[in-house]
Parts: sequence; C-alpha cells; structure tokens
Amino acid sequence: MKSRSIWCCLMIIAALASLMVVGPAGAAEPIVIGVPTSLGFLEGKESHKVVQMAVSEINAKGGVTVGGQKRLLEVSSMDIRDAAPGVPVPEALLGIEKNILEKKPVGIVVGPFRSEALVAGMDLISKYKTPMIGTIAMTPASEAKVKEDPEKYKYVFRNCLNAVYLVKYLAGTMEAINKEFGFTKVYIMHQDVAWARATADGVKKSYFEKAGWEVLEQEAYPTGTSDFSSALMKARSKGAQVIMPIFDMPQSGILVKQWKSMGVPALMAGFISPLAGTDAWKSFDAKIGGAVNCVFEMGSAIASDKLPKSVEFYNKYKKIYGKELQAGHGPAPAYESVYILAEAIERAGSLDPDAVVAQIKKTDRTGIMGRIRFDEGNQVIYGFDPKETAVAAVFQWTDDGKRRIVFPESLADSKIQLPKGLKSAK
Amino acid sequence: MFLGTIIYGLLNSAVLAVMAIGFNLTFGISGVANFAYGAMYIFSAYLSWTLFNLLELPYWLAVCASIPTTMALGALMYRFVLLRVRGQALSEVIATFGIGLAILELFNYLGFVGFEYTLPVLIDDSIMIGDTMVDWQRILVTGVAGLLVAGLWAFTHYTRMGLAFRGIAQDERTALTLGIESDRIAMLSVSLGCGLAALAATVIIPLGSISPSEGYEVLIKALAVCIIGGLGSTGGVIVASFLIGFAERFTDTYISSHWTMIVSLAAILLVLGFKPSGLFGRQKELEERI
Repeated sequence: MKSRSIWCCLMIIAALASLMVVGPAGAAEPIVIGVPTSLGFLEGKESHKVVQMAVSEINAKGGVTVGGQKRLLEVSSMDIRDAAPGVPVPEALLGIEKNILEKKPVGIVVGPFRSEALVAGMDLISKYKTPMIGTIAMTPASEAKVKEDPEKYKYVFRNCLNAVYLVKYLAGTMEAINKEFGFTKVYIMHQDVAWARATADGVKKSYFEKAGWEVLEQEAYPTGTSDFSSALMKARSKGAQVIMPIFDMPQSGILVKQWKSMGVPALMAGFISPLAGTDAWKSFDAKIGGAVNCVFEMGSAIASDKLPKSVEFYNKYKKIYGKELQAGHGPAPAYESVYILAEAIERAGSLDPDAVVAQIKKTDRTGIMGRIRFDEGNQVIYGFDPKETAVAAVFQWTDDGKRRIVFPESLADSKIQLPKGLKSAK
Repeated sequence: MFLGTIIYGLLNSAVLAVMAIGFNLTFGISGVANFAYGAMYIFSAYLSWTLFNLLELPYWLAVCASIPTTMALGALMYRFVLLRVRGQALSEVIATFGIGLAILELFNYLGFVGFEYTLPVLIDDSIMIGDTMVDWQRILVTGVAGLLVAGLWAFTHYTRMGLAFRGIAQDERTALTLGIESDRIAMLSVSLGCGLAALAATVIIPLGSISPSEGYEVLIKALAVCIIGGLGSTGGVIVASFLIGFAERFTDTYISSHWTMIVSLAAILLVLGFKPSGLFGRQKELEERI
C-alpha cells in the first residue's frame, strides 16, 4: 500500500515536470519583436514603453494570426547606448547583432538613435534579413542607400520624421511668422552634430535665402554646451527678430531659460527637444512661455483634438504609466510600427522576411500620426494634412504653462503670439 | 555688446573660480590631484536632486545634507583608497580617476540622463546693468566666489586647523615633528575639496543641468584653471579664472562658440610649453630657472 502511494506521487511529479518542460500542448512560440536602442535616453525609454503597450493590446486580442494560427508577441529590448557621448558605433552595432542572434526577432522597431549607427548598421540588417522600422535616427542618407540598392536594403524602413521633412516644417513655421509679423532677421543656433547642421543649412538654403531673410549669424555649439549668454547678447545687439534653435541635447532647454532671463526681444522658434513635454514647464522654472517648438510626430508628447487617435494614444499612455509622454520624437511612430509589423505579418501569412517586407512596403494605415505610407526610400511620407500623410506639430508655450499647436494650419489651435516686449514689424 | 561681454566675462570667471577652488585646495595641501573631483560635483548635484524631487525635502535641507555627504565620501575615498598609495602621484591619479569614472558611469547606467535633472535657482530674478540683462543667480555665484576666497584665506591664517593645513602644505616632515598628523590633515583636505565641489554644484548647476558628462567637463575646467594658475596657488586660481573666463566669452562673441571649448585646452598647452609650473606655481620653479 505504502509503495503504491509512493509510485502514484512519483508519477504525478513526473507528469507535472513534463508539462513544465513541454508547455501546454499546441501553444505556438511567441513572435519576438526586437527593440535595440538607447534605452537610457528619454526618446528610447518612452519608445520602448509604447512598444510594450502596443504588444499588450495585440496580445489581449489573442495575438497575430500567422497561417491560421494565433501567436502572441514578445518584446526583446537591448540598450545599445549609441546616444551616449563617446560610445563608438561598432559597440552599438554589436548590441543590434546580439539582439538579432540571441532573440531571433521577426522584426526590429525603434532601432538606432544616432544616424551614424543607423547608416552603418544597414548592412547588418540586410545580412540577417531582419525587417526594421526605425523611429528615431533621422538622416536621409539611409533612404539614399535604399534607393541605390533596393534589393539589399529593402529591410530598412523609417516611420518618423527625417531631416528633409523637418526642414519643411521649420520653413513653414518661418513663413507663417513672416506673414503674420513681417519678421525677416534670424539668428540661427544649432548643435554641432550632423543632422542639426544639415537641418540649419537646409532651412537657410531652401527658405531664408529665397524668401529674402537676413541670416545674422549661424552658430554651432558642441554637444554639452550649457551657457548661451554670449550668443543671446549678440542676437540682441544685432537686432534679431527670430532666434531659430536646433538642438537635441538635454542641456539645450537652458537656452530658452537664458533667453527669458536676459529678456532678449526676439521670438524663439525652432526645435529644442527638452521643451516638448509638459514636464518642461516645471524643469525650466516656468521660464519658457512664448517659445515655439516642434514635435516630430503627432502623438509624441502632444495630441490634437483634430486627430482623435492621437488623443486616445496620449491618454492611454498616461493611464498605464501614470505620466504624460515627454519625448517629442519617437513614441508615436514606435507604437504605430508594432501595428504596421503585425498587420504586415498577417497579410503575408508567414514570418518569411521577404514576404513581411513586401507587405510593410504596401502599408496604408491611418493612425495617431495621420496617414502612413512609405515612399521608394522606405521613408514615411510627411505633409501638412493628416488625412493624406503623416504629420508633425509646431506648438507655442503660453505664459501660463499651456501648449497651443500653431502649425500646420490643419491642426492649429491658435496663431503664434509675440512674447512681451517684442513688437510686430508690420 | 562690448560691455555685455565684459560683464559676462566677469561672471564666467567667477563660475570658473568656484569650480576650481576645491581641486586647488586639495592639491595645495595634500599634493593629491583628485581626479574624482568632477564626479563628486555631479554626485552632490544628483543627491540634492534626489532628496528634493523624490523625497520632497525642502531644498535647503537637501543641500545641507548633500554637502556633508559628499565630504564624507571624499574622506572615505582617502581613508580606504588614497592612504594606501599616498605619495605615489601616478597611483593617486589612476585611483581617483577610476573612482570618478565609476561614479559617473554608474549614474549613466542608472539612467540619470535627461533635462529634468536640474536644481532650482536660489534667486529667480534679473537686473539690467547698462544694456545687459543679468540674472541674480550669476551674481550670487560671483558673491560666493568672493566669499570663498576670503573665507579660505581667513581659515588658513587664523584657525588652528587652517594653520595645520598650511604647515603640511609648506613642509610635511617639519609639520610632523611639530605634532601635526599629516594623514589626518590630508584626509580633511580631500574631504574639504569635495565639499567645495558640492558647494560649487549647488550654485552653478541651476544655470545649466546635471548630467554625467558635466562631471568630465568640470574636471577639465578645474584642471585648466589650476594648471594655468599654478597647482596649489590660490592667487593663481583667481588670475587663471579671469584669463580663461574672459577668453571664453570673447571667443564666443567675436570668433565663434564653436571654438570656446578649445580655449581652456589651448591655454593649458601654452602654459605647459612656456612655464610648466603655471603662472604662480612653484613646483618646478628651480628646474625652470636652470
């Protein structure tokens, strides 16, 4: 009797153990989505969170259908630290390769932070045939490579703003300022990195020179600079009416604080990444009222009632993570990328990279950042009407700490207001 | 614009003097080149930020807690690491640089990177001097620089401990024969230097933001000021701060901001080439004369 009960116990334990090893009969392996990016930086951190949010939503509905079978999604992240100063590109690429080899993702979203890492990593992506929908690095050089050798680089897509479209948005904002106030004197300040230099040069050539503006000065600042007092004095003494900043370093918010403290009578309008989210008001001691700033994708750090899906996304993030989105670049396209990839897998009916890539290319989806379609360089098409293209947003901080969208017209809540002490030239 | 450049040159000089005085004090007394100085500056700033923002302590209390904590960290660093390599200059540099690197990279690893890491200004207002608007925080830094120099002078001339500091700085062996315990004084000098770094962070960080990379920059600037002025010379620190402070602002205004960061490094090279002891340094004075 005693030996029988021991045998029974042993058999139950063995059965349980085999269940633990094998798993439930018939359950398919989850589909892995890789997120190798700079997770320590705000844009990477929040993009990673929204990817998890999108994956949870898809999994709550049963997952993705592949060949008639429902499969769950799983996120595998990797901090490649390419945004940190001094981290060499090969080290970042090693992180991407590790993520691909160890986790075997069906696709990568978000991807490298710095353009240098994106361009250098394109060969790696092609080698392992892993579709990638990048949402942070902005250089048009990646599109040029895709166009140059479409068969080799067809796996690389970008779902966020690129430097060319940023130039169009900044030029559009300057045109609106000129039309409204008659301003024609600009002082350009930008970070001394490739994308910011290219953007500043782009706006200068494509708009300021053609529209007859006087560019009083164009100054480059090394990453890490946190004292802009001399440039602000120069801008003041040269009679600048507009200061156009282009920066993505954390210290750059100080520029606006100094502009306010020094009472420089010029409109601050451009791109300063730390100014995008609501937290900026407190971080910069409520000294940013009047600054005009660009958010690269609708839904990232700002939402518009005119695009209800952006409001839904913004509120959903706040509900889940207890905080509003602060990154003006990355989160919205990262969230959309998960859906783009999932829909492409379902349409392809398989996980074959070539089949999935062919379906990503056919994407035509209207979501939180407007209508998403890719051009021949695999770049999402941007414009000013969310019914036709993806959209960015330019907003202005008010003196009571609110943000009002001022450009493009299709999304604008109000017109640009001049800060105290600055008069219209009209 | 010229008057504005002069005013901001003066304010920038005060910032540099406050930044460098702690490094100089430690080296002048104990001979330890504390390469963890920038990391201590950043450590104290993050500690104040954490106490103020996460634990929601009043700002003055956060600062009052972070300065002594940084001093204690400096003392521990001396007691458990530097004491063992005391007198071996290269080992001291490697040890302190390693500790500094570890502290700064730890903050990087923990994700302490972002625009939200900043400290509030103590006086939130500006005044007009001529046609130049200046914020009170910068004027406060200038005041702190003046008080620090005067306070340190009084401390080293009129207090028992200050006199012991000077005794060790002048001749360690003779000081030992007079009963001054050199290891204890050296530990206090490292600790006081770290405390001055923490004080500098409290008044300077509100003008910018906290980031691990700032730690390296503070170290480079402190080194530049001390090397140019002459390691260990307080007068040298003041003169060098003025030289670099004005050179930076004039470069910004009349050449380009692009070159500003090179100013201090170029000045180090120049001084090392022509007067390796620095403008007021006496370390290698004899060799230089020969």
